[in-house]
Amino acid sequence: MKPQSAFEREPARRVFASELRETRYQFKEGEDEKSPTYVLLPSGIRSNRIFIVGTLTEKQRQGDQNIFYRGRVVDPTGTFFIMAGSYQPEAMQQLARIEPPAFVAVVGKPSLYTTPDGTCLVSVRVESIAVVDRDTRDLWVLDAARETLDRLDAFGTTDDSRKAQEEYGTQPDVYKKIVYDALTQVQL
Amino acid sequence: MNLSEVTERISRKLEAKGAQPDRQKIESRLRRLAEEFGVNIDEAERTVTADLAREYNLTGVGNTSTELRPINEIVPGEWVTIEGKIVALTPPVSPSIAQTGIVADSSGAIRFVTWTRANAPAMEYGHWYRIESAVVDEYKGAPNLKIHSGTTISRMEKDVPLLPSITPIEELKPGVGSVRAKVIQDWEVSHDRMLQTGLLGDETGTIKFVIWKEEGKDKLDLDAVYNIFYATVDEYNGRLSLALNTAMYITDEGDIEVGRNETEIQGALVHVAPGSGLIKRCPVEGCNRTLSRQNYCPVHEIQPEFRYDLRLKAVLDDGIRARNVLMQREIVEALAGITLDEAVGIAETNPLGMDEIFYRIRNTVLGRYYTCSGSEFGGRLLVNSCTPITFKPEELAALLNRAGGEPA
Repeated sequence: MKPQSAFEREPARRVFASELRETRYQFKEGEDEKSPTYVLLPSGIRSNRIFIVGTLTEKQRQGDQNIFYRGRVVDPTGTFFIMAGSYQPEAMQQLARIEPPAFVAVVGKPSLYTTPDGTCLVSVRVESIAVVDRDTRDLWVLDAARETLDRLDAFGTTDDSRKAQEEYGTQPDVYKKIVYDALTQVQL
Repeated sequence: MNLSEVTERISRKLEAKGAQPDRQKIESRLRRLAEEFGVNIDEAERTVTADLAREYNLTGVGNTSTELRPINEIVPGEWVTIEGKIVALTPPVSPSIAQTGIVADSSGAIRFVTWTRANAPAMEYGHWYRIESAVVDEYKGAPNLKIHSGTTISRMEKDVPLLPSITPIEELKPGVGSVRAKVIQDWEVSHDRMLQTGLLGDETGTIKFVIWKEEGKDKLDLDAVYNIFYATVDEYNGRLSLALNTAMYITDEGDIEVGRNETEIQGALVHVAPGSGLIKRCPVEGCNRTLSRQNYCPVHEIQPEFRYDLRLKAVLDDGIRARNVLMQREIVEALAGITLDEAVGIAETNPLGMDEIFYRIRNTVLGRYYTCSGSEFGGRLLVNSCTPITFKPEELAALLNRAGGEPA
């Protein structure tokens, strides 16, 4: 019995903004041009795709020839920088239709940029974005909290987390505190 | 028949007896006999097998074996002698086949085919035969007994009652199988020649069944339990189905609690794939394929009399694994809060047409959390039910404890 296809879609990791902001290490698996690029999250897992839900607070159109949109999505711990360009026309047009402020769910690819003055920025290239409700936002906070805690529980036992220890010197307690603070902002 | 096939068969036969033959050696010997000495391939196979068996000091290899074997132990690549009862005869599908059917003994059952060229005596339903030197090979993933010109068939004067052993649905393999199962779904037939099709289930799982139209074949009753003896188990695209034309089925008292073996997954809906929303389907009976925008069916060409349908092809992602899900009309209607008729109405009046429905459905479901359950097939979950996940305060409390409750 042959498998239908060997291709497995990369899962979308749940990550809080304050963790993604600390991400500095990016790598590629395999030599192939098409091999996926991952960022290594400080809580100890590689990620090629993330799923975030937060409030879109700001949206800007930029560029003349190559139009693209930038936006800020805020979660209980900080801000995600999202962008959608003409290489993702569907995503760009979805983003163009949304008027901030609004709760949005974003699926996208995290990537790292270094600015000319040497600071490192993490932004999320949008694959899909949609307006959601507050309930979905709250569910996401629980989901992101659960997955972050799961990663912290496994910290030190997986290759990715040992690598994260090396790269970031992650202190699991700091991230536990971030999770706790995020959860306290969910209203009952 | 080519030489590498024969080589493969010989080496498998020898390997089954624990030897490790050199395939190249086998092939070169075969080639020598076949090409230099003009020996026909069957004879060459016999010779090489026998020679090698002698060299490896093996017994019971090859066609010379008249050792009687239980049917459930024979595997493709063997020459065997069996004694069995003809429990089914099916119409031959080709003039080069004289007879096809199922032969069974107390250990199991196997499909057989008698070649016209074999000039073998026709076997009668319900009688016992001794079949010497038949070849077992694999046909459509199932073992199959070939009766050829070298096979000796003799009718036996015994009539031992046979009680086929019942196999749990989950453990069925291509070939022949007997089940005790309940008819849980009766589907619309998709073909003129089909008498009935649907879903059978027992405690361990479910399987599709088909009965083809044939003299004397009756339909099964929905929700009734049957003992089905000697059905043909076919495999298509990695999925098994039962053809009941070879089978004898009798109703059984009692009921079965059908095991649904459903998969349940939870996660966020992170992607809505093209081909979702309002689609057109080919109206030709039994086709049902999706038409292109120009109403083109890959098989039946342009079909202006299409019918509309709603579906959702999406990815549900729990953060660890992303899975493809496929939802049919009823589920999409409930999820997106739009009926098929409404969707058709909108599509026919809106300048964006069917795209409008795609966007509406996408905007309603994308980024939301759902629990989906259904059966998995070909890397895709065919969703039977889908419910939105709701916020539960006790989960928040539990997570707060986990994040802050541990003593430092």
